Amino acid sequence: MHWLAYAGFAIVLWGINGLFMKLGTNRVSARSMVIWVTAGFVVLLPVLWRGTTLSGLGTRVIAVGLIAGAVNGLGNWAVFACLEKGAKASVAIPLTALYPLCTVVLATLFLNERPTSLQWIGIALALAGGAMLSYEPAPVAASPREEQAPCVQ
Amino acid sequence: MTDRSSVPTWLWYALLCIFWWGLWGFLSKIGSGTANPAQMQILFTLGMLPVALGMLLQMRWKLDRDRAGITYGLLCGLATGLGTLGYYAALQKQDASVVTPVTGLFPVLTVILALVVLRERLNKVQMGGMLLALASIVVLSI
Repeated sequence: MHWLAYAGFAIVLWGINGLFMKLGTNRVSARSMVIWVTAGFVVLLPVLWRGTTLSGLGTRVIAVGLIAGAVNGLGNWAVFACLEKGAKASVAIPLTALYPLCTVVLATLFLNERPTSLQWIGIALALAGGAMLSYEPAPVAASPREEQAPCVQ
Repeated sequence: MTDRSSVPTWLWYALLCIFWWGLWGFLSKIGSGTANPAQMQILFTLGMLPVALGMLLQMRWKLDRDRAGITYGLLCGLATGLGTLGYYAALQKQDASVVTPVTGLFPVLTVILALVVLRERLNKVQMGGMLLALASIVVLSI
């Protein structure tokens, strides 16, 4: 199969996932969502384990992977809390997808990597885009045209 | 909901998420030098378990029981996990510098679905921000 088909599969599932996240947090708490999402990941473990094994991996990489998983779980909780507190999915998902910006900063600080010219452009775009996505004008009283359509609850 | 400084509460959580996921990306970068993507995914899943357990303890084992909410939660995990498998499969056939920027466009679909299904509306500034954010996701993924 062509690589674009697999990439398209990922885009569709990750894209739909953003909708599920909002619909889920409309109904259960952010903490509950973390638990059920983790359960969803666990269901896939046998599939992953069928194709590979952890034998041969060093203690350090195992520790790094486990810590990364924990950190990922905390990130999941934060995005669910963000949606729970009223963020629109159409704002929260593109905004939190800017996390590579933080990765680039950390790699620069701790791995002595130097951002390329292209990455500097990406950083500038991310900062500008993030600030604009976060912009919400103060609610104006008696201005029906400014009202937002209600979200599906 | 806003705090006294008028910064929306959700924005603080969004920034916290960017930090945690950014740290995840950083650690993944370190780990992926030795472990293959499937091994990393297994470790990620195992690493998420203590966090889920911590949440369960905080909730005193009283999980929300809304059936639709549970279904969406499970679907979130499955969709993310299966999407990741698709991403890995694409990586086996094409360079990461090509695949990652393409798959990084997934928020476009979320925004379209949110506008159509949830009837959300973005103001012009946010719309411009979304386009810049998408451009940055592609550029930072290369």
